[in-house]
Amino acid sequence: MAYVATRGGERAIEQSQRLYREEMGAITPERVNELRQAMPYLIDRVMGEASLYDEDLAALALAQTGGELYEATLLLRAWRTTQPRLAVADPVTQDGLFTHRRISAAFKDIPGGQVLGPTLDYAHRILATEVLSGETHVPDPVTPAARPSPAHQPSVAAWQAENDLLTAAKPDQTTGNDIPDVTREPLLFPAKRAHTLQSLARAETGGVLALGYAAQRGYGQAHPTVNELRLAEAEIKVKHPRGTTFSAGRVKLSQAEVVNKKGTQLELGFAATMGWNEVKVIAAATLDVNSEGAAKGSATEEEFFLYHTEGVESSGFCIHFKLPHYVTFQSSLDAMRDAKAKKVAKDKAPEPAE
Amino acid sequence: MSIKSLTKEWEPMAYGFLDASAKREIRRKTLKAIAVPGCQMPYASREVPMARGWGTGGLQISCTLINPQTTVKVIDQGADDSVNAASIRRFLSRVSGAPTTMDTLKADLIQSRHRIPEEKLREDQVLVLQVPNPEPLRPVQPNMSIARQMHADADYGRMWLQLYEQIVRSGRVMQGASYPSLVHGRFVMTPSPIPRWDVPKMHMAKHLTILSAGREKRLHAVPPFARVEPLVFDDVPYRVEDHGDLTCTRSGAKGYFMNEIPQDDGSSTYEVSDSELGVKTIRQRDGEGTAIGATWYEEGRMPQ
Repeated sequence: MAYVATRGGERAIEQSQRLYREEMGAITPERVNELRQAMPYLIDRVMGEASLYDEDLAALALAQTGGELYEATLLLRAWRTTQPRLAVADPVTQDGLFTHRRISAAFKDIPGGQVLGPTLDYAHRILATEVLSGETHVPDPVTPAARPSPAHQPSVAAWQAENDLLTAAKPDQTTGNDIPDVTREPLLFPAKRAHTLQSLARAETGGVLALGYAAQRGYGQAHPTVNELRLAEAEIKVKHPRGTTFSAGRVKLSQAEVVNKKGTQLELGFAATMGWNEVKVIAAATLDVNSEGAAKGSATEEEFFLYHTEGVESSGFCIHFKLPHYVTFQSSLDAMRDAKAKKVAKDKAPEPAE
Repeated sequence: MSIKSLTKEWEPMAYGFLDASAKREIRRKTLKAIAVPGCQMPYASREVPMARGWGTGGLQISCTLINPQTTVKVIDQGADDSVNAASIRRFLSRVSGAPTTMDTLKADLIQSRHRIPEEKLREDQVLVLQVPNPEPLRPVQPNMSIARQMHADADYGRMWLQLYEQIVRSGRVMQGASYPSLVHGRFVMTPSPIPRWDVPKMHMAKHLTILSAGREKRLHAVPPFARVEPLVFDDVPYRVEDHGDLTCTRSGAKGYFMNEIPQDDGSSTYEVSDSELGVKTIRQRDGEGTAIGATWYEEGRMPQ
């Protein structure tokens, strides 16, 4: 039968997947474990974009996709969507965080103090090539400070609000299942504040950076000053059906507050995400502070950046161009050829007499 | 009687993949969409185990409608056997246990990317179209908030202007696929990137068409016996692709939408885009008793 040759899509799919996986070899529990331990920041990035906090699953997703970040995020999100929403945790407040790192570019010192925490910001970016020639790179041990920094710190914005530099945001009283959830409701514009912050938290790091950087370079109206950048752990407190509150564990999170001078007041931009991802929260907070009053269709308008930094959606759409488009292409060809033929016929037609 | 006897066995995944709340939302939004033909209904659109832009919108509708008795057909660019169609068909069958078919006449539910089958669909069939971009106003207004307001005002002036400009510049409307069409006299929709050839198949059709865009989180519908009128000027009639006289080199079928296959010698051959119709034509030619249903087009012309 003539069409037989074109049948075989299912077999082709199967074999192409085998080919891909063959390159990666077997996925073992040891490999997943190793990935989790050796790539904590990569794990954090994927967890943030997937809005699912589970280091083991994130490591498994990375192992399964060979480190294709968009695919790993999609794997986690697709798994997340099959899970029921059992409970809503109590709100996490800034002064309740267990802070690992906290810096401010606005003030030399801040209430609660600056904590450098773990960072490679001031490291010389030199490859440890000795490892390739057989040496093991063992990091120097940390010497603990004489006086430990406090685990909890207040927010810098709270101090600014007290000093009438900033109008403090009104606390949102919404609780439980009434809290808007962007994974269960469509994102509509003007967006709910909760949807904006959730979308930024899930946004693709590279995309947020590109648009945030554009705003920082002058394609935005607001210049950010980092009020506070924090890497912390948050206690997740959940209410038991019997009425008691218990801790379901801690999750790592990053948050950034940026401020911009507007007249006699400061305006605040904010972003937070699960996992430690400093670049993303600074860029996202920059977009947040720039969004107010941004022109429609500009890169700092909320609709523009929230749609276009959705990594799973944008990467999916981009790779969909690999799918056949011969029907639509054929339709365009038809219109093109006909228009061309019409033009030729028109050019050949004799000029009408004056 | 024990509680265990009243409950179902625990399963790692909900029937039809989507959980009950997602299905409920989609069913409600689909009913709304049917009630207001052509109007885009926002929905949450869950992540499914497939990349966005690969038919996740259609897949969510199919997952919502499917049951173990639903016979499913999946089409990609007219073919049942292309890789993405095969992948979606396998997924639907895997999560629902539904039987699958390639025969348009035997299908209850047809999920399709960019084609409406050449054989006429019946009242009892549902066509689910995967839509990459549900917003017909996007080329003239990329901002979704403004576009929604324009729909509310039935403000389609810019669309008409765009079509007019194409006629002035090129001597004809240059829109290829996804030709903007007025649904039941109220909303202009983009009928997914189906070729112009397929748009008249929606007009006063007996079947229900649900169009769903997963990435853009919008769905809309063309209910049975709804008017679907492509936007045209009185003096410039709607034109489908000029395929009515082309013959399929594989099957000899004529009068259908064709795929052009470039040849080494610079010429082109054609094969019928609806692959199963091609297969049926070959079977019939070879004397195998195969029923070909009534088709929308007769001799390459849409009957008036």
